[in-house]
Amino acid sequence: MKKRIDPRVKLLFIILLTTLAVLAKDVIYMSIILVVGIVINLCLKTDILYAIKRLRHFLSILIFIAIVQSLSIKGGRVLIPIGNTALLSTKGLQFSLEFLLRMSIIVVSGLIATSTDGREMIDGLLKLHMPYELAFMTSISLRFIPVFSEEFKTRLNAISMRGIDIKKLSLPKKIRVYAYLISPTISGCIMRSEVLAKSMQVRGFRAHPKRTMLRELKMGILDYTLVLISLLIAAAFLAGMYKHGILVTF
Amino acid sequence: MQIKLSNLSFKYNKKAPFVLNNVSYTFNTGSIYALQGKNGAGKTTLGKLILGLLKPTKGEIYFDDTNAIKISAGKRADSIGYLFQNPDLQLFASTVLEELTFPFELKKELTDEKKNEISTLLEKFHLAGFEKRFPLAMSGGEKQRLALATIMSRNVDFLILDEPTSSIDSKGQSFITSFINDFVGAGGGAIVISHNDEFLSNLQNVTNLNLDGGTIYEKKN
Repeated sequence: MKKRIDPRVKLLFIILLTTLAVLAKDVIYMSIILVVGIVINLCLKTDILYAIKRLRHFLSILIFIAIVQSLSIKGGRVLIPIGNTALLSTKGLQFSLEFLLRMSIIVVSGLIATSTDGREMIDGLLKLHMPYELAFMTSISLRFIPVFSEEFKTRLNAISMRGIDIKKLSLPKKIRVYAYLISPTISGCIMRSEVLAKSMQVRGFRAHPKRTMLRELKMGILDYTLVLISLLIAAAFLAGMYKHGILVTF
Repeated sequence: MQIKLSNLSFKYNKKAPFVLNNVSYTFNTGSIYALQGKNGAGKTTLGKLILGLLKPTKGEIYFDDTNAIKISAGKRADSIGYLFQNPDLQLFASTVLEELTFPFELKKELTDEKKNEISTLLEKFHLAGFEKRFPLAMSGGEKQRLALATIMSRNVDFLILDEPTSSIDSKGQSFITSFINDFVGAGGGAIVISHNDEFLSNLQNVTNLNLDGGTIYEKKN
């Protein structure tokens, strides 16, 4: 199933899931959208557990923000009082849960993109009439996320190799070490991108205005069926949210 | 100092094959170990395991009689120095001097004695007068000498050098050759990962090792 689905369909899944995540403001609806996102990933055989492991620091930051939000936003029924003040209220809890679910849906929908290789994704974007340069840039930018993370990890190792135990440092010292690493990490990534740009040029990138593809993408019956089903489900969600007055209005 | 590998095995994830499989070997100070093997044989992985940057899947590493599992990577670096194949990756300060003083400043160990030691190191590694230079803008040989100076600022007992000749010219090669010979002659130990046979032939008191099929074999000279 992983290889048979057209990347354009996957892009549609991502767009619909993230749009619904932004527009919904109800915990139950958002939980259902999240489950749908997880089910799509499971069908596409995305390694969700591995992704969670890789994103654990980012996810812990999200949880921290959600906790801060739940404690700082007051309103509704008091759930945990401290003296005369409310530590946790229903509004704060609802707001933080919505934030956490919204971000989880965005992360889960982003994982759908990992089930397609970069080449196929570019082809998909081209078929959607995106200029080749922009499609290539989109694909390369996604490719650079693990490069950046690896570069940072290597430099953290280099710091350890200087006899500095980062885990044992106080917070201000930790911040100082991280600040030291930002500049060489970014410059390292820029250097790599320069090498990449040069290697693309020597391979004739943009030398010919009209490109042909070795393997043309073609939407099959399964793809069209999935597009139809996903649009219908998204429309049903939007109608339901509109009916219950839980649609975010701008 | 002695680095003892005891039935050491490692694989990068559950599904991956073993990179190192049941390796047992002892590295002693006073010797140079030339570690060779095909690309992907696990030479760099072995270095990272000794340094504590990776955790063994099975088996133990002992520093003298102490199980290294109890020693953090930061602490291990006090006795073992690691020279990256690409010195760019181990330099991060904005000046050469800061590159050397930064760890001591952070640990509040930058005494006058340490400052003098650093001045001596700058001389020894031909970096005197380079104090205000931006490390990443220096030549390959200069960057490697600076990386070595940062290692030697900690008075380590053992060195692990990953392809030390990959980005330097013949002058740089002769510098690193005499540096390693002097270091081991003074009682240190070195594991040199290299495919450069000419460079290895100029090292003294070398034990040639081959890493193949996840196991270390001692090669007969």
